[in-house]
Amino acid sequence: MGKVVGIDLGTTNSLVAYVDGDRPVVIRDESGDALVPSVVSVGEDATIFVGREAQRRLLAAPSRSVYSVKRFMGRGIDDVRGDAALLPFRISGEPGGVVRIGVADREFTPPEVSAFVLRELKHRAEEHFRKQGEFDFEVDRAVITVPAYFNDAQRTATRDAGRLAGLEVLRIINEPTAASLAYGLDKRNRGTIAVYDLGGGTFDISILKVEDGVFQVLSTNGDTHLGGDDIDRLLVEMVMSELSAPVGRALSGSPGGPEGSAPQVIETIRRAVIQGKWDLSEVEETEILIEPSPAVPAGYRRRITRADFERIIHPLVDRTLDPCRQALADAGLQPKDIDEAVLVGGSTRIPLVRRMVEELFGRTPHSELNPDEVVALGAAVQADILVSGRREMLLLDVTPLSLGIETMGGVVSKIILRNSTIPASGREMFTTGVDNQTGVDIHVLQGERELAVDCRSLAHLHLRGIPPMVAGLPRIEVRFQIDANGILSVAARELRTGIEQTIEVKPSYGLTDQEVERMLIESFEHAEADFEARLLIDARNEGESVVQATEKVLRRLDLDGAGAGVFEPGERERINAALIGLKAVMAGTSRETIHDWTHALNHVTQRLAEVTMNRTVREALAGRNVKDV
Amino acid sequence: MTRDPIPVRASSTLECRNCGAGAPVDEHFCPQCSRILALGRHGDYFSFLGLPRKLVIDPADLERRFRDLSRKFHPDYFYNAAPTERLASLERSSYLNDAYRALKNPVSRVEHLLAIEGLPPAKAEDPSTGSGQGGGKVPPSLLEEVFALNEELDEIRERREAGADPETLRARLAKARAPIDARRDEHEQQLQGLSARWDSQEGAPPAEKRATLDALRERLLERNYINNLLATIEREVAGLAGSGQPAAGSHG
Repeated sequence: MGKVVGIDLGTTNSLVAYVDGDRPVVIRDESGDALVPSVVSVGEDATIFVGREAQRRLLAAPSRSVYSVKRFMGRGIDDVRGDAALLPFRISGEPGGVVRIGVADREFTPPEVSAFVLRELKHRAEEHFRKQGEFDFEVDRAVITVPAYFNDAQRTATRDAGRLAGLEVLRIINEPTAASLAYGLDKRNRGTIAVYDLGGGTFDISILKVEDGVFQVLSTNGDTHLGGDDIDRLLVEMVMSELSAPVGRALSGSPGGPEGSAPQVIETIRRAVIQGKWDLSEVEETEILIEPSPAVPAGYRRRITRADFERIIHPLVDRTLDPCRQALADAGLQPKDIDEAVLVGGSTRIPLVRRMVEELFGRTPHSELNPDEVVALGAAVQADILVSGRREMLLLDVTPLSLGIETMGGVVSKIILRNSTIPASGREMFTTGVDNQTGVDIHVLQGERELAVDCRSLAHLHLRGIPPMVAGLPRIEVRFQIDANGILSVAARELRTGIEQTIEVKPSYGLTDQEVERMLIESFEHAEADFEARLLIDARNEGESVVQATEKVLRRLDLDGAGAGVFEPGERERINAALIGLKAVMAGTSRETIHDWTHALNHVTQRLAEVTMNRTVREALAGRNVKDV
Repeated sequence: MTRDPIPVRASSTLECRNCGAGAPVDEHFCPQCSRILALGRHGDYFSFLGLPRKLVIDPADLERRFRDLSRKFHPDYFYNAAPTERLASLERSSYLNDAYRALKNPVSRVEHLLAIEGLPPAKAEDPSTGSGQGGGKVPPSLLEEVFALNEELDEIRERREAGADPETLRARLAKARAPIDARRDEHEQQLQGLSARWDSQEGAPPAEKRATLDALRERLLERNYINNLLATIEREVAGLAGSGQPAAGSHG
């Protein structure tokens, strides 16, 4: 048997963790970075790049790269048109079928793209175990997290991605619940906890009760289309509207238009606004800066204060409050009943988010654990519980949305209500509406609305071979079973004859088993990049972290106007030269040269780090970590 | 593939699929080989949780039982077990979750009691005769209030269409609501009284117990009707809030 890991498969970044002895740890690369950007890029020679390298390629070859694919998991083309408008890659698909993502000359389904990210994480973990001298370092099983508010189709798509990556998916668990497990490790206390999880693309709120090591979810709510991506999009739109007219015109055409141009512009702007967003979590004012380039010839520069930023994003953050109130109401609680609030997800670094959560629950939220890492840590704990049989802790989660079937007149008859503890089962009796009816179609739906058209269609199930009887005489029992992954299976049976049909719900927007099998075979044919190529990528990643950390410090000094007093004669020039040199060799393929230049840049910035009294500057350099920049 | 017909409740024992030993239906694990038992035949929610068939329940005790049994059955702890045991764990956990959910809430607790005591469900008897309020036949004891409320609602709707001030109408709705709210509070009290009576009737003659159950069922029917009336008023209030806005609570 191989190793077991916990994986946080995020919209923006993904992480892998495992339990070492009795505590969970995230697995980092050589430069100490735990985050693998959830970006996939296809090289000219069809090589697949994942993570930092793919993120770098996003700027140079945006039409060959995919990000935020989690937004498309388990969804149909009609659901995602709005998202696609500002994304640099093509999406297509038949109405009612799975979304297809066009990258270069290839097409992928969202689970396939996610599988590339998962395979990268699997590889990272295997390297880690191998270096630790483990004889059996293969990673073959994983717990993967999903947003609590993911529906059945989205969960199933995630499980398919795991299979495609060669992992046995032990369990799909909810992100906020995983986070609470990680938090609960150090505190054997009891109480009612609200977990507020605002990530790159999704928002979840879960209310839990913790007692005797049992983590019982009372209610959950959320929005699977609300996160940091939406904040970035607002800022991108702001910059686009302010850019000079010719650029605006080029963009008003379809994003998939002239090869390269529009995606490159969007990606250039996106990088600049994300940097600005990060800055504003630490300082009161910053600058969104785009250097003149072929993509944006005139360049762009704009000062923005935290107050401006908060005004822009306020409506988005506000949208998280209604789900919070609904979750409280469903748990039968008032805000004052919450003993602790916990923040999860990168977007909870934004001061406005913290303030609004504090106001709602009337207490300072916890953020002791790194909000990017806490979900992966919890997934690792759950994986360990499953394989070790440890019984100190138990997670009892709920199903986020009601499940039912369509009945006469298009009305939904609910069989399992939302916030039911899982595993859960339910059954209901139905009958025929017409004399001598020998078959019934059972339309399985998920959602809270009364009418079938307003709910999510999960599947159609056909029960055939009912002996001809007078309408109303057959007794058809429909049974729903939700397993501990939150995934539904449905069985229908005519009780007078015992005719039965069971299906695991294959979502309308999902893959069939045959498709998954075929993709598995294809993925073996596209072998992974060889060892040498990977070392080169690692070297580039390390160089990139040092470049970003240095540039951040320089920009901060310029903003404060403190630059002149800090540098020794010639120091600024030496740093600039090392920066330019490193950037140049990073485009090349010699990892030794990249190592040398990384070392050189580290060397010339050393004094700056030591002498600068400014705390922010020191922290930024000491961190040397892209995610903190 | 055919399945066994549903076993009848003739025998009070369950056969362990592992060792073949017999076990009482309320056991969760085989007394002989200690493996988890398939759910097969099972007791009601009360006996499943080891509780007497009583309506006044200590919430802390119920929760403790739920947690203890969860720790015994949960699929997390059967990940490496044989398929039959995994299935048994899944079915027992599901049933436990249903039982806990039903008994936690005093109203669904009464509904479950009525069901296992053989009374018809306390829902609207024939939905096809339901009025616009979806509550079925008006319980005789509520006729007066329902009549008054419907008249008032008709008038308020007319005024609203005629463009009357929403604030005035809101106040009228609040006033119309008051007697219904009072009836609901009264019902809660009666439900509690009847629950206590049921609990004290353990050794009482069947006819007396049946009378209590009938009274409980009557209360539930009225309660459902009252809740429908309150929901109707809520909808009217929401209608005043501004016609262009989406209805509250339509998240997801």
